[in-house]
Amino acid sequence: MIKITNLHARVSSDEGPREILRGLNLEIQPGKVHAIMGPNGSGKSTLSYVLAGREGYEVTEGSVTMDGKDLLDLEPEERAAAGVFLAFQYPVEIPGVNMSTFLKTSLNAIRKQRGKPEMDALALLKLMKAKCKELGISEEMMKRAVNAGFSGGEKKRNEILQMALLEPKFCILDETDSGLDIDALKVVADGVNRLRSPERSFLIITHYQRLLDYIKPDIVHVLAHGQIVRTGGPELALELEEQGYKDFIEAVA
Amino acid sequence: MVKALKALAPDHLPTPKQEEWKYTNLARVLPEALLRQKPETVREVVIHRSRGQNGGQVEDVLWTGFEGAHQQPVLRVTVEEGADLTLIERHVGQGAYWKNMVTDIAVGKNARVHHIRLQEDSPEAVQTNLVKVTVAQDAAYDCFSLNLGGKLTRHEIHAVIEGQGADCRLNGLNLLAGVQHGDTTILIEHLAPHCTSYQFYRSILDDTARGVFQGKVHVHQAAQKTDAYQLSNALLLSPMAEMDTKPELEIYADDVKCSHGATTGPLDEEPLFYLRSRGLSAAEARRLLVQAFVDEVLEKIPDEDTREEARGKADAWLTMRLR
Repeated sequence: MIKITNLHARVSSDEGPREILRGLNLEIQPGKVHAIMGPNGSGKSTLSYVLAGREGYEVTEGSVTMDGKDLLDLEPEERAAAGVFLAFQYPVEIPGVNMSTFLKTSLNAIRKQRGKPEMDALALLKLMKAKCKELGISEEMMKRAVNAGFSGGEKKRNEILQMALLEPKFCILDETDSGLDIDALKVVADGVNRLRSPERSFLIITHYQRLLDYIKPDIVHVLAHGQIVRTGGPELALELEEQGYKDFIEAVA
Repeated sequence: MVKALKALAPDHLPTPKQEEWKYTNLARVLPEALLRQKPETVREVVIHRSRGQNGGQVEDVLWTGFEGAHQQPVLRVTVEEGADLTLIERHVGQGAYWKNMVTDIAVGKNARVHHIRLQEDSPEAVQTNLVKVTVAQDAAYDCFSLNLGGKLTRHEIHAVIEGQGADCRLNGLNLLAGVQHGDTTILIEHLAPHCTSYQFYRSILDDTARGVFQGKVHVHQAAQKTDAYQLSNALLLSPMAEMDTKPELEIYADDVKCSHGATTGPLDEEPLFYLRSRGLSAAEARRLLVQAFVDEVLEKIPDEDTREEARGKADAWLTMRLR
């Protein structure tokens, strides 16, 4: 179970540190899909970076635990090994590092931390081929540099591929729908749906309801001014789609 | 030509007051004793490939420096029409010495020269190397320089593209640490139309090492349809390292494509975080990114064996620096 309690976090900026998260509380049970929706600037991406452990995002108060274990104390790579996976809003291009080297290094780094033996090249190749096939990703992608020159859809599919390979317990999808056309969105959503399991929790961060047509959430939260201001079922997303975030922005301001 | 050798005689050392020596102070690094030292007898290596000799021949030349020596080696290469040559040049040595070298390469019509320099001079050595290359019609000159050694090195290339349809590619990797100073200075003169030139240099600088990249492309009025490209990327592993970059374009023709770019800085935080979020330790992530930085330029070495040799040397350096 993921438990976020009274989370306060600030981000360093040119004008000094700015408080973005202001006492956020959230619990996600295993197997559940939670969606966080909110207007721009409400703290959605900050939350995803804080959970993944990015530098420059400082937690000033509160806690985050996964199965009772403190996450905030861990380095980003230790969180990854513990089972946290962040699908980036803007996956980073890494020219010069080819996909298969990257996936091999990543998977073996995580296996090593989890106390499992490293996978040999052949077994890895087989696994990658199988996952590519499952997710409808061209194997040709393996020969290219990580995200370099990838289309928006390819980048997001690549995130889902990594998610499938690394077998996380807690997946955070940060605005995965941004920059995707409807076909790419379906492919990505389909990939996520295949990964749903009774042990795996999801946190889907999104501005629009559209993605939630394809990945059905169990619970929907509204984030505004760094706090969860409302929680409901899937119908809440539809309500937001109709009425917008106006009420929430005004309520707190 | 050999005249340049005289211009570098001890009493006439260039100083940073001269624009093209602005970032490299030879007098400050050259030991007084070496300056006063009478040069050794000139060692001259002459390589000649006759017309049509294109069997992929490899020439491997070793230049060795010795403690206290003031050397003025000369390398002359002539590759006649339609011939080809792979020239591997190795620089090694022990102790403090000054290797003040002149290289003269003439690439004839439709001829090809692959020139690979593996520079591993001793940590106390000074090397100044003035390379003059002429590239004739439809000919290709391709140079890759791996600079690892020396206290101060200057690799100065003056390439003159004389005939139509010629191609000149200059690439290099500088791996410098400690108090090393590595200077790459290039002048490419485009005299003829429909020619291409390409410069791609990468440097990794650690400790207080200093890199210099000065690259000038001079497109003469007759050289229409010139396609010239230049890029220098420097990665600083230490806040005390320094890179001085001076790209220059001087263009007198009106129908050309010329571009240049330069970057200097530490490793980007974004890819580091991306890799760590995928389970790589900070050290593993850094190594992978630096390795990629190096691999992208090593790929420019056309000859596979030499490429692997250069990669091995670069790997050893990285392993030592990124411990």
